[in-house]
Amino acid sequence: MIEADPGAPLDIHRATVLPEWIDWNGHMNVGFYVVAFDKATDTLCNQFGVSWEYTREKIGMTFVIEAHVTYDREVKEGDPLRITTQLLDYDAKRVHYIHAMYHATEGYLAATNELMLMNIDFATRRSAPWPDWAMPRIEKMAEAHKHLPRPAQAGRIIGIKRKQP
Amino acid sequence: MSVILPYEMPALVTTAPLDVHRSTVLPEWVDWNGHMNLAFYVTAFDQASGAFMRNIGLGRRYVDGKHGMTFVLETHVTYDREMKGGAPMRFTTQLLDRDAKRVHLFHEMFHADEGYLAATNETIVMNIDFASRKSAPWPEQAAERLEAVWTAHQHLPRPAKAGRVMGLKKK
Repeated sequence: MIEADPGAPLDIHRATVLPEWIDWNGHMNVGFYVVAFDKATDTLCNQFGVSWEYTREKIGMTFVIEAHVTYDREVKEGDPLRITTQLLDYDAKRVHYIHAMYHATEGYLAATNELMLMNIDFATRRSAPWPDWAMPRIEKMAEAHKHLPRPAQAGRIIGIKRKQP
Repeated sequence: MSVILPYEMPALVTTAPLDVHRSTVLPEWVDWNGHMNLAFYVTAFDQASGAFMRNIGLGRRYVDGKHGMTFVLETHVTYDREMKGGAPMRFTTQLLDRDAKRVHLFHEMFHADEGYLAATNETIVMNIDFASRKSAPWPEQAAERLEAVWTAHQHLPRPAKAGRVMGLKKK
């Protein structure tokens, strides 16, 4: 298991916009923002020891049960991405967190992705408590992140906002 | 000064909810957990948004003719049940709100044979001017068709999963 990164927010995930992520509008397609964010979730799960090996060894899986994305600015093919992750809350079998995607060299915010991730038992494919080794790592990250300001994009309700008359 | 579209509009569907989009879970959408990856639900729902846009006259010809585009601003997905590779999908779409340049849509994805609800997607889509890539009012024909759809959809009950705030509900 890797050594846990103490950063708040977690700021270790980097990626590049692949050619196959571009759609007919000439920018990264809405679905591939979520592909890019899901890889940042793998980076987060790796911090907790519940990533690829966890599923390959048939111990467990993690399923996203809810997701919210804000698309703030376009990114193009080849653009470098920096994704940070802030833990917002957790319980015995879930973690609630938000990713922020930045253009890594220009620095602007491209998108955010708030997620609810649930631990799943491999055999039953049903929810189950986090394994013993993961829970202290989740608690430690929650402790490190709890004083971060809550991002404005967290907890949003979707709707068309009208100007008051 | 909205855009006038030079191509012929398709026959308008005003059934409420819209129930025209069908698709299949592609093999490349399946991840190491053996089910459709969360991102490709968004892709599948985006294609359902595309079907809604085609109905109001803003299909591929809208972009290919360099008249305009539509961009998603925000999206919220509930993942209710797994879908495997090859599963047939049926989508319904309810128009929840609209203004001069945006629509607020609510999609439901069902397993087309077994009937169960697999996921929901609430989304805001905005009209974009092709040249400036900035927001712009709906083209005139699209605005008229959107109002006809709104007339048919506005009295549908609001879906229970619309307007959700994400969080852990603690006992």
